[in-house]
Amino acid sequence: MTVNESPGGFAGDPTAALTVAGSTGCCGNPAQSTNIALPDPADSTGGTCCGTPAAAVAANSCCAPAAKADAVATGQGCCG
Amino acid sequence: MTGPTVGAGIDAAVDAALATVSADRLAATVTTLAGDAFTGRRVGTPGNIAARAWLASQLADLGAAVETDPFPVRAVPDIYAAPTVRFDDGTIARGLSFGREVSLHLASADLGTPRRGALGVAGVGEPTGRWLVVPAGMSLFDAYGHADGAAGLLLPRNVDADGWQFTMLAGPTPGPLPVLTLATVTYHAVAEAALAGGGWFVANAPIRRADVTAGNLHGRLRPAAGDVDLLLTAHFDGVGDHPGLRQPAAADNASGVAVVLEATRVLAAGLPRGMGLSVALLDGEEVGALGSAHHASRLAETGADPLVVNVDGAGHLHQAAAVEAGGPADGLLALLDQAGRHTGVPLVAGPVASDNRRYAGAGFAAIGIGAGMAGYHSPADTPDRVEPGTLTAIARLVVATGWLAARTPAGHAADVVTGKPAPAPIGGR
Repeated sequence: MTVNESPGGFAGDPTAALTVAGSTGCCGNPAQSTNIALPDPADSTGGTCCGTPAAAVAANSCCAPAAKADAVATGQGCCG
Repeated sequence: MTGPTVGAGIDAAVDAALATVSADRLAATVTTLAGDAFTGRRVGTPGNIAARAWLASQLADLGAAVETDPFPVRAVPDIYAAPTVRFDDGTIARGLSFGREVSLHLASADLGTPRRGALGVAGVGEPTGRWLVVPAGMSLFDAYGHADGAAGLLLPRNVDADGWQFTMLAGPTPGPLPVLTLATVTYHAVAEAALAGGGWFVANAPIRRADVTAGNLHGRLRPAAGDVDLLLTAHFDGVGDHPGLRQPAAADNASGVAVVLEATRVLAAGLPRGMGLSVALLDGEEVGALGSAHHASRLAETGADPLVVNVDGAGHLHQAAAVEAGGPADGLLALLDQAGRHTGVPLVAGPVASDNRRYAGAGFAAIGIGAGMAGYHSPADTPDRVEPGTLTAIARLVVATGWLAARTPAGHAADVVTGKPAPAPIGGR
């Protein structure tokens, strides 16, 4: 059996992955671990989704319709 | 976190399986998917369709029963020609390079023929016939209010570490005017000329929208006959090439597809009887995770109850792989934690904005794993920047997770993690 010397697994409580901040959208910027300096999603060509998960689910969409309309109007990215 | 001894509860068969993970095979898959023939794999393109056909053959070679499940996607952005853009600051004229100095905003109207106009500033003076620099802090919505009769709008945009304006497909729908994005340095030069009252700008904005048919690939390796049905997913679509700009989409997400195929190959060869195993290679992620939305809906209709492991980005592991979970995934997370400790892959809770969210939103236990990308949605996302070590590490992580799930009695996770009775099944809606 191979046993790795470097510590793997979660450094903290694994269930923290169930409450990740900023996870309201279904597409957009890559994971934090990309180490890429990306433009602020609120910048003119951002790519984040928008709205609350509940509103998005209710609309069967990535985005809450009202929030999406606002995002489109202001030129921010919004998927779905 | 204080945990059990690494390897507790994992038998030698797991290590034998892990030893068969092939870095060469993983890298070869990435190289193929990122190749010229597949043209960046944007949904609805011939390159995407060719990639799907190649992947179907790969799944069939693994012994899967393969199905393609089509679904419509509307208004996919397509830059159909490299924009022709020239700028004169009053003393010298020069062209601007597409992808670096200038690109097209997703809200842009289609303008095939270059339009020449004097420079101006949105909100200052007469807009008619001018290319208007939109001041920092002014929204596009407000800029439209100052742009009646304007030639188009010029917005600032940061570039990534490689100097590219990365491509997005999911975004606002087209507005009434051509809208170009200028790299910050270029933007300031153009704004300076505009404020000085001199200079001109000539540009087109060749962007159109296409209604296309996308298609997910599903492969069933083992029937869901027991307590656990594992579904491995990764999206195979990319943002696609632009004219004159190859965008190989190696890390995003040829790397995730490679991991899923390799993990499937290993798991299918040795999982215990009774454990279900299937694969979904998803289309349309880059336009809003539409493939997974479609698939999750279909699964819900059939009453399926899989444990979903999605991989999006396995190219550049730095410190730890990000993990995001949703749905009733406590038990699955415990297995992943154990698998991480066994394989030496560090994990951290972090956003993985990908298909896993669609499955979680549909009520399935779903985790997303993101292990880094170098060159996001740009020509810099090349196979040589996908680390074989990262591919191997994540493939081993997924294999170990699958094995642990298979060896967990009655669909409970805790016995392999803590030795105590589990509070809840590892899946189950």
